[in-house]
Amino acid sequence: MAQTIELTVNGKKEALAVEPHLTLLEVLRDSLNLTGTKEGCSTGHCGACTVLVNGEPVSSCLLLAVEADGQAVTTVEGLACNGNLHPVQAAFIEKGGLQCGYCTSGMMLATVALLAHNAQPSEQEIRLALAGNLCRCTGYTKIVEAVQQAAEEMQLAAQEVQHGD
Amino acid sequence: MATEQGSGRVIGQAIPRLDSRNKVTGRAIFGADVKLPHMLHARFLSSPHAHAEILSIDTSRAEALPGVRAVITAADIPAEARYNAASRFHAFLARTHTVFVGQPVAAVAADDLATAEAAIELIEVTYRPLPVVATIRDALQPESTPVLHGPVDGEAGGGAAAHTAVVTSDDAGPITAASPNVVDENLYEYGDVAAGFAWSDVIVEHTYTVPVVHQGYIEPHAATARWDDEGHVTVWEPVQGTWAARELVAGALGLHPTQVTLHSPEVGGAFGGKCEGVFAPLPVLLAKKAGRPVQLVVTRQEELSGANPAPHSIIRLKTGARADGTFTAIEAEVLVDAGAFPTGWIMSNITASLRDNYRFSAWRMHGREVVTNKPSATSYRAPGGPNFTYAIESQVDELARRLGMDPVALRQRNLIREGDLLTSREPQGVIGAQQVLDALARHPAWQAPAPARLGADGLLHGRGMALGSWAGSNGPAAAIAILEAGGRFRIVLGTVDITGTYTGLAQIAAEALDVSVEQIVMTHASPDHAPYAPMSAGSQTIYAMGVAVKEAAEALRARIVAYAAGDFGVEPEAIAVDAEGVFVAAEPERRHSFGTLYRLGTEWFAEYGPLAAVGSAPQRQRAPGFAAAVAEVAVDPETGKVQLKRLVTVQDVGKAINPLLIEGQMHGGATQSAGMALWEEIAYDENAQPLNPSLLDYRMPTAADMPQHETVIVEAPGGDGPYGAKLVGEPPIVPGLAAIGNAIAAATGGRVCDLPITPERVWRALNKGET
Repeated sequence: MAQTIELTVNGKKEALAVEPHLTLLEVLRDSLNLTGTKEGCSTGHCGACTVLVNGEPVSSCLLLAVEADGQAVTTVEGLACNGNLHPVQAAFIEKGGLQCGYCTSGMMLATVALLAHNAQPSEQEIRLALAGNLCRCTGYTKIVEAVQQAAEEMQLAAQEVQHGD
Repeated sequence: MATEQGSGRVIGQAIPRLDSRNKVTGRAIFGADVKLPHMLHARFLSSPHAHAEILSIDTSRAEALPGVRAVITAADIPAEARYNAASRFHAFLARTHTVFVGQPVAAVAADDLATAEAAIELIEVTYRPLPVVATIRDALQPESTPVLHGPVDGEAGGGAAAHTAVVTSDDAGPITAASPNVVDENLYEYGDVAAGFAWSDVIVEHTYTVPVVHQGYIEPHAATARWDDEGHVTVWEPVQGTWAARELVAGALGLHPTQVTLHSPEVGGAFGGKCEGVFAPLPVLLAKKAGRPVQLVVTRQEELSGANPAPHSIIRLKTGARADGTFTAIEAEVLVDAGAFPTGWIMSNITASLRDNYRFSAWRMHGREVVTNKPSATSYRAPGGPNFTYAIESQVDELARRLGMDPVALRQRNLIREGDLLTSREPQGVIGAQQVLDALARHPAWQAPAPARLGADGLLHGRGMALGSWAGSNGPAAAIAILEAGGRFRIVLGTVDITGTYTGLAQIAAEALDVSVEQIVMTHASPDHAPYAPMSAGSQTIYAMGVAVKEAAEALRARIVAYAAGDFGVEPEAIAVDAEGVFVAAEPERRHSFGTLYRLGTEWFAEYGPLAAVGSAPQRQRAPGFAAAVAEVAVDPETGKVQLKRLVTVQDVGKAINPLLIEGQMHGGATQSAGMALWEEIAYDENAQPLNPSLLDYRMPTAADMPQHETVIVEAPGGDGPYGAKLVGEPPIVPGLAAIGNAIAAATGGRVCDLPITPERVWRALNKGET
């Protein structure tokens, strides 16, 4: 029996009738066609399906869509703004922080959440924050460099905004 | 003008992957992202038995479930399908027997996944369990129960070219009393091994084991199939080789290859595990029966328990050396567990490559491959390379310790040189092994004094190094270069880009055409729309396809120059090329832009044909890639836990086409080697049931496990790759395991010969005799 839920996905309100057994991952991918969020294991161990729910990183394969009723969800499709890449996206490109790209959405969202809490993370803090997101291609070295670069650029941008005031 | 080594204008530039933007925005389409109208979802029923005869299958209750559109069993496989009992690909559905846990026995297509899963539960199969061949030891027994059931035609196997007859290299005939499950046997002998050991001052002998490991790609296998009315099927499946995947589907279902269109979407990691795909015949057959498109996405549990992991090996190795460090004789007994179908070549490659980095006066290398009731093993980044390199490089390390010699100096002393005899009895070509060892010896990680064994932190510290190599593949390849509208250059090719090769290939094309990378448009085409491309495996894409792209670009450039020369009434030698177009060198104002040339070759009543050219390159020379690694570890003496503190990889790439992407390959390969050294193993019980088919229990390296990996790129001559490039992708996984093992041996004084080097094994090595 489908239930009606309301999600705010990437800033847009979505009213959906969903079967109660469906995960947030399935609803994002199949109902909303937001296929940038990937499924890697469906048991919460690989992090490929990481999205932000109210700003916090969540394995969307472990959350039923009905549990997310009324919440704000950010997926990879919501990172860029008017065609301008988010600093985390730009840094992943520039530093070579992605290869096959399958873990990249989840990895970037985990990074966005980290930098929201800790604007200047140490290498160890970055490694711990991303330990729930498996990547098999990059060996994490260039991902760490990308996170460091994104952190610097976001700091600079924040300072510019302050100076602008 | 481009030179043999490239101008440095484009070749050698660190350019981010061309597909980066699509990937960071989530727009890239991977296997499970393919969605078609009226598409159904598939699940399959896995065998719970490692070995059983199928007595009956009743699908009637599943078929009756509302929403179920098709159920298939082996009875649905067309009569014209090929069947070779030694081929994993032909066993996509179990016929008379199931031969590993996880083998599909039946499959369902339904309106949604939940219905498909419910239907699977309703299928009733009656099995007669058979004795399980669970281990290499079991498989070697002459009386062991045969694993292969049915006709073996010796052509197709679990890998590219399986040969299931027992063969020996020196026409000596089978060497051992064959069990029915010994499917391949090789013996390479040279010189007087007994005399070599008698002449030795030091002899080291150990047995080294490597367990089954998974390639670990984050995207599980996925395939989507749609038939049209003409008896033609289109398959979307992320694979390394679309020609090979097409052949798999056609052969397994009795179709002509041109009845199958095979598109590879983006591949979410493969590392040898998606060469031809494995599962596509299931959705293809379901789609035919249902009359609707069908998608199958394999679960992680199915991946870890029943896909095609890398093989378990046992290598008994004995090496001797003189007191001055000169290596004498080497003897190896190689056993490879292929799982339920022969690999066709992995054991042979291990046996024939094991000693090839060093000079020995005599050798006896004996290898056997057996089949067991486990999922068939296949390639994983330098297939078998980590297995045999762990053995030989651990042993060389121990020789150095016993001889009191520096491990780098001992290796340099015995290093194989150009012209030396390889085990295959071919002469070794030009290699960069010496340059790699020299670069490693100069690296701060090796120059610094070795860490004090007992640190102030109470941990045991150690440093180790190892050398490795990989010969790679070198297939024939073809590509098309086309002058496009607006003066762009389109390169059409069938290669699947996994590691960023299209970026490197665009750099090669730009260099050959004397234009910028921004003017190159790379087009990936299916086998329907491109000339043959080898699979993205064996590190051959830049090395082999790079030559085809270079030739296509050079041929197009030559045609453009000839065209312009004719138009301007000068000799071709008088024409020059720049980023905008072509011109008479002595009169630069007489020029055609590339856009004009395109128009002149495509307008009505054009004087010349459209400008396009094909590059078609034969197999290349071998250009083995050498890599070496330094590792530093800290070991907790109480628990045996190992922390990897530092990892450096030095690699000869011939010529670095794109250093950013090469570093990425080195980081990834080295990290996989750390996983194999320290954590990864698919464990099986005595009935060949997988014990840990989840990413919680199958422990791959996380960001928190690894230090920042350091790289040194060496450019040594050799081979005939484009602009001097050699293979890149595979060598960096090869030396890391032994470097880590050697560091642990230095820290603990005890050697762990069985991978992974778990805390328990380290503790036991530290506390010999205690339990």
